Amino acid sequence: MTDLTKQVFAPRALISGDLLQVFYRLIAALLICLALTFLSESFLTLANVLNVLRQASLLFFIASGLTLVVLTAGLDLSVGANVALSACLAGTVIHQTGSPVLGVFVALATGAVIGLLNGLMVTALRIPSFIATYGMLWVLHGLTYWYMAGEIIHGFPAGFRQIGSGYLFGLPIPVYLMLIFLGIGTMFAQRTTWGQEIYAIGANPVAARLSGIPLSRRLLLVYAVSGTMAGLASIIFLARLNSAEADVGESLTLPAIAAVLIGGTSLFGGVGTVFGTFVGALILTLVLNGMNLLSVNASWQPLVTGVIVILAVWLDKATRRGE
Amino acid sequence: MSTVISLHEPSRLNAPAPPLLELRKISKAFPGVRALDEVSFGVWPGEVHMLLGENGAGKSTLMKILCGAYRADAGEFFHGGEKVTINSSLDAKRLGIAVIFQEFSLVPYLNIAQNIFLGREPKGRIPGTIDRRKLNRDAQRVLESIGFDIDPTVTVATLGVAQQQMVEIAKAVSQNARVLVMDEPTAALSDRETELLFDLIRRLKADGVAIIYISHRMAEVFALGDRITVLRDGRRMGEVHPAETTPDELVRMMVGRNVDMSYPRHFAENPGEVLLEVKGLSAPTGISDINLVVRAGEIVGLCGLVGSGRTEVVRAIFGADPASAGQIIFGGRGKSGGPDEAARLGLALIPESRKSEGLAPARTVGDNLVVCALHKLFPSGLFEPRRVQRVSSDLIEKLRIATPSARQAVALLSGGNQQKVVIGKWLAAGARLFIFDEPTRGIDVGAKAEIFALIDRLVADGAAALMISSEQAEICHVCDRAYVMREGRIAGELSRTELTEENIVRLGMHHG
Amino acid sequence: MGEADLAVTANPLQRIPGVAIVLLLLIAVFGVLAPGFVSAANIANVLVQSTLLLMLSLPMTLIIMTEGLDLSMGAVLTLTSLMVAIVSVATGSMVLGFAAAVAVGLAFGIANGCLIAVLGIPPFVATLGTLGVAQGLALIVSDGQSVVGIPQSVSEIYSATLLGVPVPIVLAVLAFLIFHGLLYHTRFGTYVFALGGNREALTYAGLSPTRLLIGVYALGGAMAGVAGLLMTARMNAGHPTAGLGFEFDAIAAVAVGGTSFERGNGWLGGAALGVLAVGVLRNGLNLMALPSSIQVASVGALVIFALFFDGLRSRS
Repeated sequence: MTDLTKQVFAPRALISGDLLQVFYRLIAALLICLALTFLSESFLTLANVLNVLRQASLLFFIASGLTLVVLTAGLDLSVGANVALSACLAGTVIHQTGSPVLGVFVALATGAVIGLLNGLMVTALRIPSFIATYGMLWVLHGLTYWYMAGEIIHGFPAGFRQIGSGYLFGLPIPVYLMLIFLGIGTMFAQRTTWGQEIYAIGANPVAARLSGIPLSRRLLLVYAVSGTMAGLASIIFLARLNSAEADVGESLTLPAIAAVLIGGTSLFGGVGTVFGTFVGALILTLVLNGMNLLSVNASWQPLVTGVIVILAVWLDKATRRGE
Repeated sequence: MSTVISLHEPSRLNAPAPPLLELRKISKAFPGVRALDEVSFGVWPGEVHMLLGENGAGKSTLMKILCGAYRADAGEFFHGGEKVTINSSLDAKRLGIAVIFQEFSLVPYLNIAQNIFLGREPKGRIPGTIDRRKLNRDAQRVLESIGFDIDPTVTVATLGVAQQQMVEIAKAVSQNARVLVMDEPTAALSDRETELLFDLIRRLKADGVAIIYISHRMAEVFALGDRITVLRDGRRMGEVHPAETTPDELVRMMVGRNVDMSYPRHFAENPGEVLLEVKGLSAPTGISDINLVVRAGEIVGLCGLVGSGRTEVVRAIFGADPASAGQIIFGGRGKSGGPDEAARLGLALIPESRKSEGLAPARTVGDNLVVCALHKLFPSGLFEPRRVQRVSSDLIEKLRIATPSARQAVALLSGGNQQKVVIGKWLAAGARLFIFDEPTRGIDVGAKAEIFALIDRLVADGAAALMISSEQAEICHVCDRAYVMREGRIAGELSRTELTEENIVRLGMHHG
Repeated sequence: MGEADLAVTANPLQRIPGVAIVLLLLIAVFGVLAPGFVSAANIANVLVQSTLLLMLSLPMTLIIMTEGLDLSMGAVLTLTSLMVAIVSVATGSMVLGFAAAVAVGLAFGIANGCLIAVLGIPPFVATLGTLGVAQGLALIVSDGQSVVGIPQSVSEIYSATLLGVPVPIVLAVLAFLIFHGLLYHTRFGTYVFALGGNREALTYAGLSPTRLLIGVYALGGAMAGVAGLLMTARMNAGHPTAGLGFEFDAIAAVAVGGTSFERGNGWLGGAALGVLAVGVLRNGLNLMALPSSIQVASVGALVIFALFFDGLRSRS
């Protein structure tokens, strides 16, 4: 009898296999650092290193939530626009009420609501995730630009600004936050039942459902998390830039996807780690930083990111041979 | 089956003319597997040559070699006595060989004519265009020649499975196929459609077409075949005449030992409490007013022809498909939700397609074994890999799953062991009622016995089983009683004493 | 997969296309709410402006039929319109500018096709990547500035009329007829159905899905070049970011028009109606003095609504 399934992939071995993949990527990051040290004398300065770490953390916040979505073989293209809208709404609230706490709450809530809406489109309306979130991207983009009407919100309380610009023992605060969320993210993915269910869904959604995993609820969860993390990122943006305008963070969607893919998470679902995304964010930031240091025209950045995304996916496909 | 017409013809073994197509000592190996080992085989025009063999015997490899998808490692091909090569699908086509696979090669939103002539469209006046009128006319002619009365401009997506198969055959005929290879063509057909197919085969035979027919259904093999070749482990075990053999002997050739079809079974003398009660269940998937009962300690069979709704019933019970009416009572409590509720309550579903619905092939044995039991094993939500290792080692031992370790990817296990993993994951979840949908499909005979022994043990320990199987013999040997379905409804229930293959077939077939 | 998966209404004529309903609804709504909507001048305006989108939506229909997507079309459009501007300004020739645009568009189309068909990269990722590349190139080539001084031979394309019919509309009708003929009367078009519906069928028939797929995306790139000419003619300038986002409208038009994203079921007529629907939506909102940001949001909502609506119908 002919085998009717096309779902069987070459086995990606065990947990140690995943660790190996991340290890290779760490080596890659170190090699890039080495190369940049030779190519530019301003690379290995304290200011630059801290800058790289801070940039990477901004990218990581968005990419970490996105990792969970990609693990289920989905995609969230709306994250950048999510950051923009959340930042603008939160910025307005902080400005008008003077309360950073309220602002944080609004940012997280906005991100979460957007995430839930994405999740509902995917689970209840059965719209493929890349189309649903792509549509959401434009809806959010439009709403944000309309809401801001070309204006910029400027000037937040000093205490709030510490979140983005402050230092603790010489390291930027966002870096600590990044490490905290790296820990939380890894714990969630590898050491909770929900994380295991997410991996199961990515590996075979039909079998996962028939094994009693509540598919819709878990998918809603991952999209909500992705949205909330975008909301979180928007807070850091506000704190760092000390301003909010309609295009804050919008251009980060492609780099976030790149970070997730470079980190070894497969677009086809079921494979990948949050730690991998962390390394991916570092690698991408290092590359873009290097381009800056070497005075490459900033217009090349989307181009290079695009090429990196293509290469990362190709690598993923090439190492995942169908049986 | 009483409706099948015998299409017996005199033996060709002594015919003076060379075979239309002959394979001599064809071998093909894949890494680690000898798929075909010096297989010799020949067909004459106008004969139906049955090809029998277990899964892994080499039938599908042989088919793929015949149609040029695979290249043989060694051996020779002869066409009408002359040596030829089959290295590509073009070679196969030139020799007039056409294979009808189970996955049809049709394009859903093109019409019949376009599908028949895909790649060979008649040219229009402007280069690159198609003469659509000629296309339709040519298609009409082909359809008429095989007795298929349908408008060639109908979109293929609107056709049923049987009709699509006819289109596939029309396609082969239009390519002047003189050797037709068919892989379980009646698997998804109703009785009437099977009759029509046999009519067509008779026509093709009269036309001199040779048909290589792969089937698992003994009734067909004996009714339709002119000669029977049995493959086992890539080797040809023998070639016989239907009149000179029996089903048992064929099975022996396929399996290599006298198969005792009676699996060890301890029938429930006093069945326990009612575990599952289904009342008036209907669903948009095509079932209506289903009533059945399963008690602890029983194996209840669910039989009927393909398409009678058996899978739909179990999916509705499990919650995989929504129901439109009726009640499902499990363990005394009503059930109305989806698979997550079913799993929580203690229902288990072992689906028909292991790899696409029962397992995550890329994940490890351990991961697959605990996937249903995550919340039971880790109620706090915190996941411990070490506990997984312990639980899976236990299950591997208990079920005798042949795997080097729990960290092996499930895809690498054999069919029988994969099925054990599927059963094992529900054991880990503490299921009390196991629903099996064709549990031994695609599993070799040795492993089959193990699976049934396992089910027997489960049920002896107080669980219950509801089992779908298309092998009436299995049902009769293993089940305490059985329900027979017909066209989406329960046609009747057979008790242990009434449970015979004849009764199953009688109830399952259309009256008059 | 059972028969239920393949069940399609046997009589397609009985199904009034959802897009027609949507279009009529939009016309009705804006006829009431938007001042000046129902005037000959405005209707002519909508039709002419929609021609640009049609040039993109026609090839996008084919691409979506192959279960693919081209997110780079807007960025490529920006680049090709810049090519028209730059080359025509430098040489004074509309023809050379047009040729340059089509050449660049074709190059990106072939690149997309190779990434997707040869390297096997999922379409939305591959075209997301080439989007970045095209966007970057547009900025570099234009130095971030608009290109002005467009020769009249170019801007005439948009404003001239042929026998009283505006040239863009003539071009649009021509393009539609060509694509219609291509899809339903040529071998290439027949194979496009197979690319989405059953790619193996092509291999069994001895054809090359890879080459065909590259062809489909190349066609998209070339049409982006044609659209580039129209856009530069319309704006009478080349702008570094003008075309960005057009791919979304094109995808929206195709989706609203009833082409499904799976299994090779496409309808060019529907895409054309979808183009009109998007055009009417934008025009109506414009007349109601709502900014383009709200327009974009509305198109997004329209796509979601159309997909949901279509999903409901195919499930009933």
